[in-house]
Order: sequence, then structure tokens, then C-alpha cells
Amino acid sequence: MSSDRLRRRHATTRCFRLLCAAVAWAGIVILAVLLFHVTREGIRWLDLQFLTAFPSRFPEQAGIKSALWGTVWLITLTAGISIPVGVAAAIYLEEFSPRNRLSQLIEVNIGNLAGVPSIVYGILGLVLFVRFLALGRSVLAGSLTMTLLILPVIIIAAREALRAVPDSIRHAAFALGATRWQAVRAQVLPVALPGILTGVILALSRAIGETAPLVMIGALTYVAFVPEGPMDAFTALPIQIFNWASRPQEDFHQLAAAGIIVLLVTLLLMNATAVWIRQRAERTGR
Amino acid sequence: MAKSPLAGAGTRKSRTKEELIRFVLFLCAFLSILTTLSIIAILAWEAYSFFREVRVFDFLSGTRWTPLLEPRSFGVLPLVAGTLQIVIGASLIAIPVGLASAIYLAEFASAGVRRVLKPVLEILAGIPTVVYGYFALTFVTPLIAAIFPQTQIFNAASASIVVGIMVLPMTASLCDDALRAVPESLRQGAFALGATQFEVTLRVVLPAALSGVMASFVLAASRAIGETMAVTLAAGATPKMTLNPLQSIQTMTAYIVQVSLGDTPVGTVEYQTIFAVAALLFAITLSMNIIAHRVLARFREVYE
Amino acid sequence: MNTQTTSDAQISSVAQSRSVLDVIDVTIRYGTKPAIQNVSLSIPQHRITAIIGPSGCGKSTLLRAFNRMNDFIPNVGMEGRILYLGSDIYAREVDPVEVRRRIGMVFQKPNPFPKSILQNVAWGPSINGFTGNLEDRVEQSLRRAALWEEVSDRLHESALALSGGQQQRLCIARALAMEPDVILMDEPCSALDPVSTARIEDLMFELKERYTIVIVTHNMQQAARVSSLTAFLENGSLVEYGETDQVFTRPRNQRTEEYVTGRFG
Repeated sequence: MSSDRLRRRHATTRCFRLLCAAVAWAGIVILAVLLFHVTREGIRWLDLQFLTAFPSRFPEQAGIKSALWGTVWLITLTAGISIPVGVAAAIYLEEFSPRNRLSQLIEVNIGNLAGVPSIVYGILGLVLFVRFLALGRSVLAGSLTMTLLILPVIIIAAREALRAVPDSIRHAAFALGATRWQAVRAQVLPVALPGILTGVILALSRAIGETAPLVMIGALTYVAFVPEGPMDAFTALPIQIFNWASRPQEDFHQLAAAGIIVLLVTLLLMNATAVWIRQRAERTGR
Repeated sequence: MAKSPLAGAGTRKSRTKEELIRFVLFLCAFLSILTTLSIIAILAWEAYSFFREVRVFDFLSGTRWTPLLEPRSFGVLPLVAGTLQIVIGASLIAIPVGLASAIYLAEFASAGVRRVLKPVLEILAGIPTVVYGYFALTFVTPLIAAIFPQTQIFNAASASIVVGIMVLPMTASLCDDALRAVPESLRQGAFALGATQFEVTLRVVLPAALSGVMASFVLAASRAIGETMAVTLAAGATPKMTLNPLQSIQTMTAYIVQVSLGDTPVGTVEYQTIFAVAALLFAITLSMNIIAHRVLARFREVYE
Repeated sequence: MNTQTTSDAQISSVAQSRSVLDVIDVTIRYGTKPAIQNVSLSIPQHRITAIIGPSGCGKSTLLRAFNRMNDFIPNVGMEGRILYLGSDIYAREVDPVEVRRRIGMVFQKPNPFPKSILQNVAWGPSINGFTGNLEDRVEQSLRRAALWEEVSDRLHESALALSGGQQQRLCIARALAMEPDVILMDEPCSALDPVSTARIEDLMFELKERYTIVIVTHNMQQAARVSSLTAFLENGSLVEYGETDQVFTRPRNQRTEEYVTGRFG
């Protein structure tokens, strides 16, 4: 009788375990379905012409040249601004800041900024950069908006990487008469670099896929040229995808899918780079 | 006064340089405060202009949202209802699936399985929202329509499902953190009393991690509220108060996108609606995030 | 203004030679908890002074006060004064960086930078405005640390590839490259095997010709072997301070005798 109950209790555990496992593995199934669907829809359109043509009213002539170059411009500028500022902020918070109210406020604030909806950053960019600083609907305005959006992510990741550097290295540097900055620049930062890079790449891959803020600042959807400077108007890959996906015609949906394949391959390459950096650092670290 | 043996030759100069560097670094960190202040200032200023034309009460309690059509009406509730519908729908997916995945990861899965599943969740989390929007429109909606023929092309159900999938990784990973923060001694104590794994998980670990788990639900809901592109593409642009998930609705975020894509003249009251809606959106998500972070901070303190 | 303080009456006259560090009535607290209480002592030049005592007695805290490494621990408060050649190292106008350039430190666990052997030794001089021949300085420091023979052909290899004992000697070489006056050693052999320990003890003998050495150790045999002066600390208070021979063979204090004969600690 009591062993019957025990058996039932063990059966419950087994069922529960099976249920949880099934649900957890469902993530893989969803991912597979999504990738399969996108590939099936879009692969037909993915050719050299697609990559090298400007957008067009005629699906068979449409391409992503301007969107692709717009994204390259956008991400390069965003990286150029956000990496130094983000890493500097992380260094201040992790290595320099006194434990006072202001630092605590900054810390809490960064945590909250990371949770602000991206469209709100779009509004900030629209009013602050496009209008107030009169940068117009330029790549620069887009990059500054993206910078504000991903700064919290970069700062949080860089702080974690700095925190992982053992104190013994800092103390060794200080005992040699190094100032804070000398110790950080020459000894702490190089050790933390792989971790920082990984975080930066992940943050930038978020920026590549962000659409809402760019829609807000008015990144144009029909741009038949490649930006040549930071003040040029631009469009970007996710904007082009959004544009095609929101049209009723089936052909444009398939173009959107082809654009998505390009976007996802780019993201995959970036993530693979991040993983590679992380693994290489782990190997040489030992 | 004798010269101190500690007065180095370059001391003053290097100290000044150090202070300068420190100040520059501080400015970079302080930028985050400026960002928050700018967001608040801009939303407050523009919303203020809006509320000179429209009464706050009418905005918050009105049930008709037709700012771009005559007769104009500025009741935000339809947008809130639309948003709420998406959040509830998404939570129905993300909460059970996220929690169950987290339980599997934290309590059952081997290290090898974790090594596979965690990156998959990270990849799911890294897929851009516009991709989910496309997926909703071209895959999920036809699927729903095949089951319920009365489904509209744009509908809340489809958007809810993909938003649920989008916030799922975040829910799972935060719940996983919360469950793993529960000390091993608690589990072993329960096992020593003859409890099975199921009983340990449900009666001991989950209650101990409850506040952390709840906080992760709040964060996930806040993320769903702010989600923009998937709902813009899949949920439609018809602000209305309905309980039918198969109909077209509009969320706060989708409305903001709609106006910014259109040619509403800047400075008009119609245009300023986006700031009023954004202010509301910001206030809601910020308070949810602050509450969740408070709860999480207290939760971590308990187990440290 | 700091020049007359060496004649302060509180300083023990235990040392005949010139004193390099004078500790005057120092109390150190972590928060409100005192770790060091009213300690006064003088560290003489070109000698090895050992600080011994049971674990938790505050000996490392006292040692780290000598080059202001306690500055990095939050909530540490200090009263009293520590004079280096007559100057208060905690005076407001003194830059702690300047203190550490003259008073080097070797830590409990070897902590070389994850860089090449050469870079480890050369970094200190190069950030401190050294203008001479850096390679000569590196070689000289490695020779003085008795490491040159073992590493001269692989200066560009990672310091992390060295054995524990070699790493600790590299850390000593790194400190020597700064040409400090004083070297503080915080249980430098506690992570090492007996052979490496013996090498470092030999090294200390050679180094005291040029440098003043203060070593914290929990190993009484080591203190007896290497030091000429010994300070015994218990519960943050200085119990006894004198010539090592005297402290170990004819201790004046009952507690010291009990400790050095191994009855507690």
C-alpha cells in the first residue's frame, strides 16, 4: 500500500520531468520552424541581384543594396561611439567610483534604462538629435540614437568582465606605484578585453536588428543611394524588411524573407565571433 | 620646511592627469543619468502641450481613440486594452513555458543539456523583433486562420503568440537564475526527509524562489508592453476594445509607429498624441521595472 | 615640519641603526572593529624585520598600512602616524602612489601579470618615468631575485608558465625593478614548496644588503631563520618587539614565550 503510494509519487516526478523537458526543447522546435519557414519563403529571391540592387516597385528588380550599406554605416558609427563611451563608463563604475549615493543612482539608472522600450529611445532620438541638434534624418542621428539604446547593455557587460579580473592583479599594479588609470589601462583592461568584446558584439547585434527607433527617427524606406557620409539619409536592413513585410503582396513578403536571411546570417556570424573570442580567451587564460 | 622624501618630481602633473581621466570617465557614466533626464524632460514637455488641448481625465478614461479622424476623440483606453490583450496573451505562453523550461534547466537537466539549451535560448532572444513580426504575419496567422476561419488578417492572437515566444527566453533565463539561487542545502534537507524530486521542486525550491520568479514575470510583461515591431506588423491598426483575440486591434507602441510613418504635421495636437502615449508607455514600463528590480535585489540579499 | 618626529619618545629604541619606518601609536579599524591597536615600533634600515603572530592578529593589516594598500579596502580607518624617513606617509599632501614607489610589496600568492616575464619586470620602471636602459634594469632585477639564470633565454614567454616558486621570485624582481627602499613581504612563501621557500629565504639574506625588508609570516621557524628583529602581535596589539634571538630564546613576555614555543597559534 505504502509502496504503491511511493510508486505513484515517483511516477509524478517522471511525468513532471518529461513535461518540463518537452517544453524546454520546444524552444529548439520553434527556432527550427522559424528558420525553415523563412528559408523556404526567401531563398528563391536570394541572389547577387538581390544584394546589389536598390529597392524597387517591381519585386523582381528589388534589392537591399542601400539597406545593407545603411546598416554597415549605422553599425560602424554606433560601434565607434558606443564602445569607448560604454567601456569608459564601466571603468568608472567598476574601478574608480566612490561608493556613494551618486554611483548607486547611476547603477540603478543603468539597470532601468536597459528596460526602457526601444521605441522610447526612438522618440528621444527624434526630438534630441533629428530636431534639436538639427542632424536631420541622417546616419549620424540614427547612430547616436542606437548608441543611447545599447549603452546600458555594453556598460553592464563590460562591468561584468572587469569584475571578473582578480583583485590580485590590481594590487600587484598598485604596489608598483601605478595610479588607478595606469593599473586599469595596462593590466586590468587587457585581461577583461575578451569579455568586454563579447558583450560589445552582442550589444551591436541587438542594434543591427532594432527597427522601432529607426522608424521613429524617420530612416527612409525608399532610399535609392548608398550613404557617403554621416550626414546622409539612410535606410537599414530591418527597416527594409519591415517595409516589405507590411505590403499586402505575396512577392514582397518573400523579399522580406530573403532580407531576413541576410540579417540572420549577419547576426549568426557576429555571434559566432563572440563565441570564438570567448573560447580563445578561456583557452589562453589557463 | 625640509623637503619630504615623498615629494616626487612628477607627482603633481600625474595627479592632475589622473584627475582629468577620472573626470572624463565619470562624464561617460553620468551620460546615463542625462539620458534618463532627457527622456523624462522630452516626454513631459511634449505631453504638457498635448494636455493643454486635451484634459488628462478624458485621455485616461476615454474609450474612443480617433485622433486622426473626425470627430476626433482622445481616449487612450482602446490602446491600453490592445496592449493588455497582447501582454496577457504573451504571458499565457511565456510564463508557463518559461517557468517549466527554467525548472528543467535548473533542477533536471545535465550540464551537457544546459550547454545546448542555453545557447538556443540566447539565439531565440537575439532574433530581431521585425523577424518575429514577419513570422506572425506569414506563418502564425495563416495557421490560426486554418483553425478559426473568421480570423482577421491582422489579429491580436497571432501577435500575442510571437511576443510570447520573444519574451520566453528572458523569462526562462531569469527564472533559471532565481531557482539556482536557492541554496543546495534546502534541496538536500528536503531529499533527506524522503521527498521526491517533484515534491522538492514544487514544495521547496519554487516557494523559496517565488519572489525572484514573480519579478521575472513582471520584467517579461514590461518587455511585452514595450514590444513594437511584431505588434505593428501583425496586430493591426484599429484601436478598439474587444475581447476577441481574432480581431484586429492596436497597441500603444503600434500607434506611435503609425503616426511617425504617416504625414501628420509636426506640432499639431494629432502629432503630440504620440508623446502622450509614449509618456504613458514609459511610466508603465518604468514602474514595472523598478518594482521588479527592487524585488530581485531583496531576493538576492536573502540568499547571500 | 615632519623632520623632528623621529625623536618622538614613543618610538622604541630597539634598533641601533637608522630607522626607515616609524610606526607611532597606530590604530586601524575595519568599520568599528579594531584590527590594530595602539602599535608603535621602528623598522631599522637594511635589516629584516619579521612580524609574527597567530592568524587574525592583524599582522597583514599592519604590513599593508606601510605602503597604504589598506586604502583599497572600504571602511578602513587609521589613527596615529607612520613615518617613512621622517615623513608621514598618511599626510594629506602625500600621494599614496609616491609611497608605493618607494615601499614595494610581495604578496602572499604569486601574482604575476598575465604577460611576458620581461613585461612583468619592465612595467614598474616604465610607468614611473624611468629613462635609463630598461633591459639592463630588467636583467639586474632578475639577477638580484636569483631568477636570471633560469629565465634569461625565455624573457618573452608568459610569466604564467613559470613554477610557483619562480613566479614569486619574479614578483620580487618586479618589486626590485622599482629600486625601492623597503620591500614588504606578506607571507611570501605560504603558497610554496619547501625547496622554493629555502631559495626565497636565501634571497632575502642577499637582499638585505641593499634593502630594508619587512616580512609577515605565520611560520616561526622562518622568522627565526631570516630576521634580525621580530615583532610579536596578538589581537591587534604589539606584545613584544626586539632582536630575534632575544624574542625566541629569552622572551620578556609570557604570551610571547607560549607562542614561540608552540603552545598556541
